[in-house]
Amino acid sequence: MAKTLTTNTDPVNVPVHAESRTGELPECYFVPATDIYETADELVLLADLPGIKPDGLNVTVEDNILTLRATPAQAEKAPGEPLLEEFAAGEYYRAFQLPADFETAKIQASLRHGVLTIRLPKSERMKPRRITVKVE
Amino acid sequence: MAMKGWVPAARPFGELQREMNRLFDQVFGKHFAAVGRLRAGYVYPPMNVWETDDHYIVACEAAGLAMEDLEVYVTGDQLTVTGRRASQVPETGVTLHRRERDSGHFSRAVTLPGPVDSAKTEATLSDGVLTVRIPKAPEAKPKRVAVQLETDGPDGEKKGD
Repeated sequence: MAKTLTTNTDPVNVPVHAESRTGELPECYFVPATDIYETADELVLLADLPGIKPDGLNVTVEDNILTLRATPAQAEKAPGEPLLEEFAAGEYYRAFQLPADFETAKIQASLRHGVLTIRLPKSERMKPRRITVKVE
Repeated sequence: MAMKGWVPAARPFGELQREMNRLFDQVFGKHFAAVGRLRAGYVYPPMNVWETDDHYIVACEAAGLAMEDLEVYVTGDQLTVTGRRASQVPETGVTLHRRERDSGHFSRAVTLPGPVDSAKTEATLSDGVLTVRIPKAPEAKPKRVAVQLETDGPDGEKKGD
């Protein structure tokens, strides 16, 4: 199936906390919980971004670093006297080092019910090729 | 003032837990807070509750949930949110690199501080945030009492000076 043998394509390492290329980092930000899986054709990244609308989202790939930043719509005034506060609206930021061979021009991103889905198609070179074994 | 005189039934150790979270956030910084499982007493979904003159407003972070995945009940003065969060990662045929997003059944109840009018409860889902507006029962709303000025004469002027 889609299993790959190599481990050096693991894209999940190296969270980039250095100065972001997409502008200065906010002083504090949330790191969204993220699932990443790989099929034969693509790498799929799912990130929880509750409270984010599409126009508040900024996904970039530069030098094989995938950066996602999201800003919630202008925070409304608290609707009343707070009784319980377990989450807050704020900026989200996370970056991933990608292996080199993705078709970065064909990356697709969609946001639905507060979940961002990013699909990165593999280049032909990275797709597993089935080798037919001849039995002599 | 959060939680004034009110501890949700589901969190008997609310005070301790909040203190732990405060310390945690102080040490690791606010940006770490989203990794909820590392904090004390992680419950899903995280909730904010506000009170206005007429309503209790409850917001839940519920990314990835559609309305059909969610059930919202008001029983007496207790609000219950239950549902199932499906994993969006295919079960087979993929190589998994990261799994940080939780999936599965959840149920959470909070007891509201006063009587409510459950029939007029409204729930909306927007961008992964569930908002429930629960009107207070009429007897729980603040009542305006007309204050009448006492006067000694019909024109409001004191007599006899």
